[in-house]
Amino acid sequence: MRKENLAAMTITDEFAAKIKAENQRERLMKWAPLLVLITLILSFTIARGSAFASFGNLVSILNQWSIPLLVALGLTFVIMLGSIDLSIDGTVGMAGSIMSVMVLNSRTANDFGILGVAIAILSSVMIGFLVGVIHVKFKIPSFMVSFCFMNICIGIAYLSYSGKPAVINDTFLKSLTKASFLNIPFITWVALIVLGICYYIQEYTAFGRHIYAVGTDETIPKAVGVNVSKVKIKVFTLAGLCFGVAGVVGAIRLGQGQAAIGTGLMFPAQAAVVIGGTSLSGGKGGVIQTVVGTLIMTVLENGLTMLGVNPFVKTGIQGVIILAAVILTVKHKATVISK
Amino acid sequence: MLKNQAKTKLNFRENLQRYFCFAVLLLLVIAFTIMEPRFLNAANIVNLLSDSAPLMIMAAGMTPILLLGSIDLSIGAMCSVGNVLVLTLMMNLANTISNPAIVILLSIILTAMVGILSGIIMGTIHVKLKVPSFIASLAFMSIFQSAALLISRAPQALPKKLYSTVKWYSIHFGPIGLPLILAMLLIVVFYIILTYTPFGKGIYAIGANERAARIAGIKVDKYKIIAFAMNGFCATLGAVFLMAKSKSSAPTVGDAFTLMVISAIVLGGTSLIGGAGNILKTIIGVFTVAIIKNGMTTVGVNVYWQKVVYGVIILIAIAIAADRSSRSFVVK
Amino acid sequence: MEKKLLFSAKNITKSFHGTQALKGVDLDVYEGEVVGLIGENGAGKSTLLKIIIGAQPQSSGDMIMHANEFAPKDPMEANAEGIGMVFQEQSLIVNLSVGQNIFFGHEKDFKQYGFVNWSKMYAEARKVLDEVGCNNINPRKKVIDLNFATRQMIEIAKVVNVTKSGSDQKCLILLDEPTSVLNEIEVQRLFVEIRKLTQKGHSVIFVSHRLDEVLEISDRVYIYKDGENAGNMKTSEANEAKLYEAMVGRGTTTEYYKLEKQSKPQQGVVLEAKDLGLWGSFKHCSFKLHKGEILGIAGVVGSGKEELCSIICGDEKNTSGELFVNGKRKNYSSPSQALKDGILMIPKERLVEGIVRGLSVGDNIALSNAKNLLKNGLISKKKMNEQADQWIDTLRIKTTGRQELLIQLSGGNQQKVVFARALASEADIIILNHPTRGVDVGAKEEIYSLIRDIVAAGKSVILLGDTLDECIGMSNRIFVMKDGLITGEFNADANEKPTQVSIVSMMM
Repeated sequence: MRKENLAAMTITDEFAAKIKAENQRERLMKWAPLLVLITLILSFTIARGSAFASFGNLVSILNQWSIPLLVALGLTFVIMLGSIDLSIDGTVGMAGSIMSVMVLNSRTANDFGILGVAIAILSSVMIGFLVGVIHVKFKIPSFMVSFCFMNICIGIAYLSYSGKPAVINDTFLKSLTKASFLNIPFITWVALIVLGICYYIQEYTAFGRHIYAVGTDETIPKAVGVNVSKVKIKVFTLAGLCFGVAGVVGAIRLGQGQAAIGTGLMFPAQAAVVIGGTSLSGGKGGVIQTVVGTLIMTVLENGLTMLGVNPFVKTGIQGVIILAAVILTVKHKATVISK
Repeated sequence: MLKNQAKTKLNFRENLQRYFCFAVLLLLVIAFTIMEPRFLNAANIVNLLSDSAPLMIMAAGMTPILLLGSIDLSIGAMCSVGNVLVLTLMMNLANTISNPAIVILLSIILTAMVGILSGIIMGTIHVKLKVPSFIASLAFMSIFQSAALLISRAPQALPKKLYSTVKWYSIHFGPIGLPLILAMLLIVVFYIILTYTPFGKGIYAIGANERAARIAGIKVDKYKIIAFAMNGFCATLGAVFLMAKSKSSAPTVGDAFTLMVISAIVLGGTSLIGGAGNILKTIIGVFTVAIIKNGMTTVGVNVYWQKVVYGVIILIAIAIAADRSSRSFVVK
Repeated sequence: MEKKLLFSAKNITKSFHGTQALKGVDLDVYEGEVVGLIGENGAGKSTLLKIIIGAQPQSSGDMIMHANEFAPKDPMEANAEGIGMVFQEQSLIVNLSVGQNIFFGHEKDFKQYGFVNWSKMYAEARKVLDEVGCNNINPRKKVIDLNFATRQMIEIAKVVNVTKSGSDQKCLILLDEPTSVLNEIEVQRLFVEIRKLTQKGHSVIFVSHRLDEVLEISDRVYIYKDGENAGNMKTSEANEAKLYEAMVGRGTTTEYYKLEKQSKPQQGVVLEAKDLGLWGSFKHCSFKLHKGEILGIAGVVGSGKEELCSIICGDEKNTSGELFVNGKRKNYSSPSQALKDGILMIPKERLVEGIVRGLSVGDNIALSNAKNLLKNGLISKKKMNEQADQWIDTLRIKTTGRQELLIQLSGGNQQKVVFARALASEADIIILNHPTRGVDVGAKEEIYSLIRDIVAAGKSVILLGDTLDECIGMSNRIFVMKDGLITGEFNADANEKPTQVSIVSMMM
């Protein structure tokens, strides 16, 4: 029997070795985004010296980082499910616009103050909820539902201020644009707080663990009684919350509410999440990875601007980057079906 | 017994899906006419019909992609590229070539080739490198947007001396213009390809069950890339039509078309999951979208409501058509 | 010592879609014992396990657990009664930690003031791991960093934990092929843990095709054949030979397999494999396929025969060795290339890989040979319809017509459509992967007759039989695979068919 199994052992060992090799590759890949970030910072420092590496510029980068981070945080959970949310541009713009007409502003007689901010965020939470519900109940792919809602939200945004953006006159909110603590602007603090909350949800709540499970293989959590539909809906709702905060913060910074607050946010966010290491197929990654990913995108944007790269080319570069990131992380077996 | 019940259930759903697009079209026409009788004016109808041609061409190209179960979110941006490219080519060629017919023909051919090539590249990356089509097309959308802006950062007008090259666009037979006829002809050609060629049958099979199609020996990879190439071609052809219509080009002209194209195809009964749909009904879908756009403008609806309406209508159409049956495959 | 009865299943039947997977089986498990359950593929072992764990209900028959009636509506009810199952496919979430996996779905047990107390959970996890003897596994480690043997132990820990649920009740753990990814040393470690469990009074049902292992760990063994009890015995009184005898048994009549039609293969070699291998699945496979021959491959799940067929039909690429088709060396990267050389496979999973449910009968039949139906460059509807009608007639496919959607047909008729497709494609080398799976008896005979006819006409067939009996009955030659290697070859001429016992001994 020993002799019979000697050759047999090799097949089992081969299989185990194959899995081990795959795991090792994944473990190495985990460090890739950080290396990329460091390389970028070094390259730009070499290229532009003190202009790039100055304290002022770093603060500027942190500033630029806040809103993309907020958006990418919400998106991270969606992608961990294996789904996607294309509604960002719309939801963010909508939240910012609604807030701007709810607080003391130049277009309407409202003066809801903080309540106005809450209403705006609530509206995008509701959109997130709707996206989740429609996706789950009607089994419509998430990209399609969110794509439709992007347009619906942009529409709502414009409608809220009927074409002419509302300038925010609320004194408290206006003061926030200049407020800072420890030299870090208020807006960045908001992003960091949301980051903390998201990290906590991801690592320390059952819900966070369930997201990984649903993204890995739905049948497993289903078999132990986890309500997969609920998990999905909660994820999209949470994303809506993050997008709402981003919109509100964007409007505060801009001083007025505009649908355009959201424009162009979606793509760098997608790129950031994927580059950071959260795989599109779901089940792995997380907010820390997204932090690295968003830093990469922001540093890249900052550096490219500093180098005087044609602004038209920047979106194209983002497209190439996301392609490269996805190509490197997706499974390449011939029998894998990707639609 | 159960089988018969299942059969009748299938028939009801089938009927709903089959006639849904006609019903929507009819409802909209009635609704808009009630709200604003001018909607049915001859002039308005002509306008509406001629507006549909570029959309119909792009919808023709995108239909096989949706039949495959994939998607191309870059079609609008590709159209923008084609639009600025063809005009730029024409203006440059006009300096060296005196015959305007050759100028436009050459420009169209070159632009179409760029479209086909882009489709092949995107298709190859999607197929060979296993990048999901929506991410690949999203990435290419960015790339195309950049390309369009690089080719021509601002809208450009067609020089008067080249006006003769686009005279054909205004030819019409009664209320129906030549462009629309060409567009519908393209759809018919695609219909024939999809129904009567191994390639076409393969597309349906791949969309319905890619694994089975592969094992049955269908050239899955090759057919997918061809479909994307065809799509690229149609995007640029639509761009040429847009240029001919407005006698100008703009680097963002196509961006809004992506949503309209998808709406049109879905309203025509083609399922997002793939494997089912009739491209001839895309014609109905295109008219429906055109009617929505034209109707809302005629009635005086705020242009931003249009976005909301589009979004809602697509959602409803897909929700009705969605196959919620026991197919246990996971929707992400 | 009088052992208490822990679990009992009596007269369990299960039918789906007209086929009976279980025809009235029994199983008794006493406290503190390991019961082995063996049988060929399709004998009904997995079906019974799924019924016990509550994943599907039985069609008739009763179960008793802890002296109470037991009829679980879902796995969670079975868990609550003390029954847990470790499935063949690993069910751990690799990006979570060991502790989180063990308590997955039960995190609320550790909720304090609305937050999960992870430290408390990890402490509990340590206790659970101790219970199954794995005190060297750190519950905070991510599963993805652990090897298979450790993962297997965690699966068991997870199941034990779920079934214990705080009471002192004894549990029943179902293990479905737990050793398929383990090497010898790891298997022994697993056995040590199983013994620890049984010493505490828990019981295990151990399903495996590795008879030597079953004999080593079990106290008693049940043998199932064709959905029926084929015997049970104490392992102390059993040996491999006795088990084989029980597992196989009555052969079927020669008429069933149309033995009178079995033709002799011709001399020409249409396909040759030289040292073919796919890393991690099989290796060193060499054989020849002759024209007009039916070559059967016998082996259990995981023996590598499925992957071998994938390679031949072009679905996967081999990592070692060579494939020769009609004398020429070939390297296929897709089934379409193999089809060009006349190789086509009829796949095992009909619903997922074989038929296109939403298309019509006619379209499905034309799936592989659309290019042969051209007239003036376009597919001729007339030719396609004629082809469909011809095959519906020849194969006696029960359908309302070529327009009928495939989803409406019964399993057997769907399979006939797949056959029609293969034959219409004019492929010369056809790989039949479980061709009669889920097909009724009448249709089976028709398919056997059909296979005989096409082979007599010069086609060559590689057959993965649905049962060993079928494999022996239909083939001209058989080779046996086990754990990725060819372990034996048999001649199967019409008048000197090998016995099932002789082949089974090489399969397991």
